[in-house]
Amino acid sequence: MTNVSQVQDETLQIAHVTKRYGAGSTEVTAVHDVSLSVSPGEIVLIMGPSGSGKTTLLSMLGALLKPTEGTIQLNGTMISALEENRLPDIRLKQFGFIFQDFNLLSALTALENVAIVGELAGAKSGEAKRKAASLLTELGLGERLNFPPEKLSGGEKQRVAIARALVNDPRLILADEPTANLDSKIGHEIMRLLRNIAKEQGRSVVIVSHDQRIKDIADRVLWLEDGEFKETVTMAIDPVCGMSVEREKAVSLESEGQDYYFCAQGCRDEFKNKLKSAL
Amino acid sequence: MIRLAFRNLFQNKARLAISVGGVALALLLILSLDAVFTGVERQITAYIEYSDADVWVSQAGVLNMHMASSSLPDSVARKVRAVPGVASVTPILYLTNNVVYEDERNLAYIIGLPESAEMGGPWKVSSGRSLPGKSEAIIDRTIAEKAGIKMGDEVEILGEEFEVTGLSEGTASLVNSVAFISMDDFEDLRGNYGTFSFLLVKVLEGESPELVAARIQAQVRDVTVQTREGFARQERRVVQDMSTDVVTIMNLIGFLIGLAVMALTVYTSTLSRRREYGMLKALGARNTDLYLTVLAQAILSVILGFLVGLVLTLLLTVVVPIFGSNLALEVSRASLLKVASVSVVIAAVSAMLPIRQIAGLDPAMVFRGR
Repeated sequence: MTNVSQVQDETLQIAHVTKRYGAGSTEVTAVHDVSLSVSPGEIVLIMGPSGSGKTTLLSMLGALLKPTEGTIQLNGTMISALEENRLPDIRLKQFGFIFQDFNLLSALTALENVAIVGELAGAKSGEAKRKAASLLTELGLGERLNFPPEKLSGGEKQRVAIARALVNDPRLILADEPTANLDSKIGHEIMRLLRNIAKEQGRSVVIVSHDQRIKDIADRVLWLEDGEFKETVTMAIDPVCGMSVEREKAVSLESEGQDYYFCAQGCRDEFKNKLKSAL
Repeated sequence: MIRLAFRNLFQNKARLAISVGGVALALLLILSLDAVFTGVERQITAYIEYSDADVWVSQAGVLNMHMASSSLPDSVARKVRAVPGVASVTPILYLTNNVVYEDERNLAYIIGLPESAEMGGPWKVSSGRSLPGKSEAIIDRTIAEKAGIKMGDEVEILGEEFEVTGLSEGTASLVNSVAFISMDDFEDLRGNYGTFSFLLVKVLEGESPELVAARIQAQVRDVTVQTREGFARQERRVVQDMSTDVVTIMNLIGFLIGLAVMALTVYTSTLSRRREYGMLKALGARNTDLYLTVLAQAILSVILGFLVGLVLTLLLTVVVPIFGSNLALEVSRASLLKVASVSVVIAAVSAMLPIRQIAGLDPAMVFRGR
């Protein structure tokens, strides 16, 4: 079992989740006894090799797959115990999904792609469109509202997908390889956008990815292998140069009961001097 | 979701054209065939409808003209005239024969008319006489034009030569035409005097044809009495009975073609959007939302197909007569209702397989890159 830090008021809490496929000699355990809590505004990155169980775990987190054992709780609702027919409503209103291939509806415009999810959740067409337009404008797509997906760049498509994920105000966003089909610059922009959404709006974000660069925006990085979390890395931002660093490997400093983490000794010294001169 | 159905439908124009075109052609087959039969029915009963008679009297058990023979002694005419409510009686003789001109033979109802017939003659004459005299015949204008017959030419009817002295309008159908000769000639040719085929009865003003028909039936023996509408209905029934199998088979073929085209295009359309439907399911769309989308696509396609089929059929009703054919197409309300019902069935059945496909979609597929 891998036990990850328990936080009060968690958005998502999964406990001892196991998923097995098949039975008898053909039985395969895709995820084994995994526990995880995600706080509001927290960004958790799950990494791991192919076949490690990332997709199965993500499907269970998104109420697309039921665990064989264990519980999944979202905002206090035990979704792993819900009847199958209640799950679509939970997915629609509590989750925002972002996919590797954007998965936009090719026949609809950017605006309609976002609005349709609002309509599915019960919003009136006009209301859903207004909200979709507002979200897309906030994400810099105000001039692209009526463009079909084929006329949008990869980054624009992913921003439409983000707007779609946000339209029903979900508490949790699940992103599957969100930068896989984007170049590094656009990928970085998308990640900064997700970080802003998490931090400014208090939404939790769980990302499954192979992309090491996403570590920079994550609060925690979990390494999944053979269906189990093998390693947990807590990330911190160097207060001097702004670089994302792994707490366990970083140079640290404690001041007035608070821990600071630095990419190098130079940044630590510079910070220390600043503190001294401030005093 | 209806918007999605609409957009999905119009996104792939080639697929839309195939599905709409296929359904339109299938429905055109049904509609035009119905239109042909409706037109033929109307043409075949035109003589009865325009006869100006309120009541038809025939030999007992004879309910119609087509492929039937009726014989009434002249005493019956006197008895009918004596029935209260009868204003006048016109006897006619009738046989199915040919109007022959050189090598051209045209099947025709040959009507033998008394010298001063009040009813039963041609109702519209484009040229010449409206009642035939001795050795004279009035034939249909379109038949005359087709055969190259002009006024004054001789045609052969019942084995004798007649001079064409009149050309009538609206007296030809796809099946046959109506030719008029004098009753005296008709009797001479048959060698049978003092009998009639039918009695055409006009009732007094204010009298009900139904009541007068009932009175005649009650007072005159060995006759069958029907109102004009009833007699025409029996005539139509004969045509319908003769064509039921053909119509059923052609309707079934049309239905199956429409269903096959529609089912194939809806299925391939759904298959090509499998991932999109899976994604919608993952986002939280219910199966019923997705079923509705597929069904709406099928219904929209079928409505478009129906409209195109109807427009093509209506075009045919205008174009066919221009080419001089005696084929008159008529789109009836019953036919429209039938084809609309067939369309609904096509849409519903063609959506069933894709709906099953969607029901089996695993929404988690969106995370597996399938």
